[in-house]
Amino acid sequence: MTSPPRADAGDSAVIETAALSKVYPGGPGGVTALDGLTVHFAPGITGLIGANGAGKSTLIKILLGLLVPTKGMAKVFGRDCVKDGMSIRQIVGYMPEHDCLPGDVSATEFVTHMGRMSGLPATAARERAAESLRHVGLHEERYRQIGTYSTGMKQRVKLAQALVGDPRLLLLDEPTNGLDPAGRNAMLELIAKIGEEFGISIVVASHLLGEIERICDQLVAIEAGRLLRADTMDSFTKASQTLVVEVEDGLARLADELTRRGLKPRAYQRSLLVPIGGDDTYDAVRDSVADLGLPLSRLERRRHQVEELFRDDADGTGMTLEAADAG
Amino acid sequence: MPADTTTGASAAGVIHDLGYRGYDGPRLGRAQITRALAWHSFRSAFGFGRGAKAKILPVITFVAMCLPAVANAIAMAQGNQQLVGYSAYQPVLRDLVMMIFVAVQAPELVSRDLRSRVLPLYFARPIKTGDYPLAKYLGFTAACAVMIEVPLLLLYGGSVVSVHGGAAVWDQTKALLPGLLAGLMWAVVLAAISLFLASLTGRRAFATGAVAIFFLGTYTLAEILLQVENHAGPGPGPGPQKPGPGQSAAFLAPPVPMAEKISGLFSPFTLFDGVRMWLGGPRTTVAENVLYPGGFGAVYALVLIIALAACLAGLFARYRKARLS
Amino acid sequence: MSGIQLTNVSRWYGNVVAVNDITMSIGPGVTGLLGPNGAGKSTILHMIAGFLATSKGTLTVNGKPTWENPDVYRTLGLVPERDSVYAFLTGEQFVRATAKLHKLPDPDAATRRAIEMTEMADAAGRRIATYSKGMRQRIKVAAALVHDPEILLLDEPFNGMDPRQRLHMMDLLGKLGAEGRVILFSSHILEEVEKLSGTIQVMVAGRLAASGDFRAIRRLMTSRPHVFNVRSSDDRRLAAALVGRPYTTAVEFTGRGSLQVRTSDFGAFCAQIAILARENGIALRELLPTDESLESVFGYLVSTQPNQGS
Repeated sequence: MTSPPRADAGDSAVIETAALSKVYPGGPGGVTALDGLTVHFAPGITGLIGANGAGKSTLIKILLGLLVPTKGMAKVFGRDCVKDGMSIRQIVGYMPEHDCLPGDVSATEFVTHMGRMSGLPATAARERAAESLRHVGLHEERYRQIGTYSTGMKQRVKLAQALVGDPRLLLLDEPTNGLDPAGRNAMLELIAKIGEEFGISIVVASHLLGEIERICDQLVAIEAGRLLRADTMDSFTKASQTLVVEVEDGLARLADELTRRGLKPRAYQRSLLVPIGGDDTYDAVRDSVADLGLPLSRLERRRHQVEELFRDDADGTGMTLEAADAG
Repeated sequence: MPADTTTGASAAGVIHDLGYRGYDGPRLGRAQITRALAWHSFRSAFGFGRGAKAKILPVITFVAMCLPAVANAIAMAQGNQQLVGYSAYQPVLRDLVMMIFVAVQAPELVSRDLRSRVLPLYFARPIKTGDYPLAKYLGFTAACAVMIEVPLLLLYGGSVVSVHGGAAVWDQTKALLPGLLAGLMWAVVLAAISLFLASLTGRRAFATGAVAIFFLGTYTLAEILLQVENHAGPGPGPGPQKPGPGQSAAFLAPPVPMAEKISGLFSPFTLFDGVRMWLGGPRTTVAENVLYPGGFGAVYALVLIIALAACLAGLFARYRKARLS
Repeated sequence: MSGIQLTNVSRWYGNVVAVNDITMSIGPGVTGLLGPNGAGKSTILHMIAGFLATSKGTLTVNGKPTWENPDVYRTLGLVPERDSVYAFLTGEQFVRATAKLHKLPDPDAATRRAIEMTEMADAAGRRIATYSKGMRQRIKVAAALVHDPEILLLDEPFNGMDPRQRLHMMDLLGKLGAEGRVILFSSHILEEVEKLSGTIQVMVAGRLAASGDFRAIRRLMTSRPHVFNVRSSDDRRLAAALVGRPYTTAVEFTGRGSLQVRTSDFGAFCAQIAILARENGIALRELLPTDESLESVFGYLVSTQPNQGS
């Protein structure tokens, strides 16, 4: 059972922008960070990629009501970012990318203080701080000074302070920054848990496509201050009409056998790409492998990957997946 | 993955729901958040919330501030006259100790936050940008006020027990109040100047240096100008005045030439004492070289107010800029 | 003898052993040097580049040691991790200055070529201070390429790049490697490395934990059962059939319409699965080795070391 995202009456978009632009003064014509960005973020866990540097931090500041856009509109849960910035900040938790923790207080003290800064009365702040730290997995360490923590623990504290005010939306900026693979794993699982079980919508800004594919329900890709594409993760990674077959050896013999059975295999790195004609394609592959007694190590429908957004050709073969599917 | 759900009470036991709970309670507004931050800052000024080492300097300076009051109480208990006045207190000690206090503690309040880059976490909360410097200023002013006023109250207490008669107590009280007022004025100005200077850098050592150098430097400048003027010789003016009650040995100053009065504009210490005297305070001075400004005291007051306003404007502007980075 | 050769190389600082008895050889093509932070990757790169001496062991590039050997810079380029560019210079000026430092006979042509190779021609006229992180990385690579080195060392080159910049850099490195150069880069973000190189050198706490192609490394880890995800037309019957086989260690229903199979004998499982399915009239829809990713392999290698803590 997952908690449904808590909804205002009639908001389908968590974040909404229309022709949002921001130009900073300086240099010839100024620096354009956002250029007519129009996008909707649905409830759930959304990945935000491609907007490195100026575009991403500008968008976040505008959403938090800390920066006035040059043109266009932005709303969070239906509240206008320019007019209702304060009420937005009441329901949004923000986890910055950079180091932002004082070294000489304990996590408990710090998160409690941040809870009070979110408007919680003293007792509630203490209680929610303890709960938040528990949810992010900090136990006895929470009484030690933050300066003694590892990077992973510090990231958790940053997440806890974003959670302490019971936000409806979390803005997480590169939450796995500086973490080793185990730490990254743990953080991603934590974020997935928060998104799925706590009923909080999350926007994860990251430049690591693998992470995004793993935990996000939808994706917003921004480039040069404009929307590149926004869609559900399923549509980004939908299966193509090509089967990937890998055998530990005998690839050429398999190709010949498949051709003999009327299929059209194409070699690619250490596998064969076989267009799917129907269910019998699978059986033909199985039977060919069985007849030849080959060791089968992979069989899957080729999936699109988020990476393709940023590629001119899908897999380096000089052909997009669609083209490959078509012929 | 479902959280453990609360089951009905069975004979065997109950599993409680430890999943995430939302918050439905009251949410405090900007004013209360600002007040909470001000209280937090006030405590930080005395080193609370940061471990034992952070309290060392505040304790030492506080004790130093109280020493004259204690000494006075002892002296009066032994039948001596009151040594220490309320308005000027022990000027050199007070100015020096307060300078040390603000130079070291103002960075604790503002430079630390700049250094640790925690400000975005504050600004992403339901407050306005100006609330942060406001809270810091209120908290630090309160701290400076405590540093200045508590010794005065101790002085009062110590004196009152040693005087006899309602009239004498009343005299003491009459002298205390202007002293408290002057002390408050001083706290307001000190806090503004030191916080503004400290907010310019995230490095506490630099901030402390900046504040200390500012106060010492301006004072030296005023001194130098004064010495330069002194060489030009004293001018004519009215005769010596009588000392008032509750004052230490007054410095009976001959009237002061304009040029020397102007030299007093250059240091907050001299400005403060000048305004205090202009407002009717006793004619005692810091190290005997802040001279009674007479009507010129109005200019002192004006300059002090402008300096205060400028520092506060600078402080608020600093955080406006910091928010955007 | 071309390439980089390390033999029993160690490097210590007082009691801290940054690199501990490493023997490896790196040839033409792209090689990834992986490891958690603090594993010693930077130290290795700096020793290869001749900035640090080894405390023990021999390190040679093309047969000659690099320590105190300035000649080596003719054939070697280093792209360090830290920002080491002069922000007030334009990209072009920076690359040309490096060309002149190398005393190249035709610095202009070399500069142009290096800039074109890294696709920085549009931005070369602007000051580096105006560059994004990815662009700075690329201009550093251009400067390291200006003297057409045979060997290129890159310390965390993908740090902070957005996906498009990363793909471009990966393509560039792939191209350079295909030309026969020796490209060695370090990274702690596996996603970047997986797509790029087949050959990896994994370092953990100063020691070399594994070398080679990461899938081959996985196959060598025979103590860990391999895990496959299988989708078929009849998971239950397939599961029953698999349980009866000696190579199957465990079968689990994932609740997402697939089976998870653990096998102690990778080769036997692969050889038998299609036959088994056909025998039982079951259609196979999907067969995926789930822990052969670089991340899994790396995780296994690292987990045999004392906990890095997180």
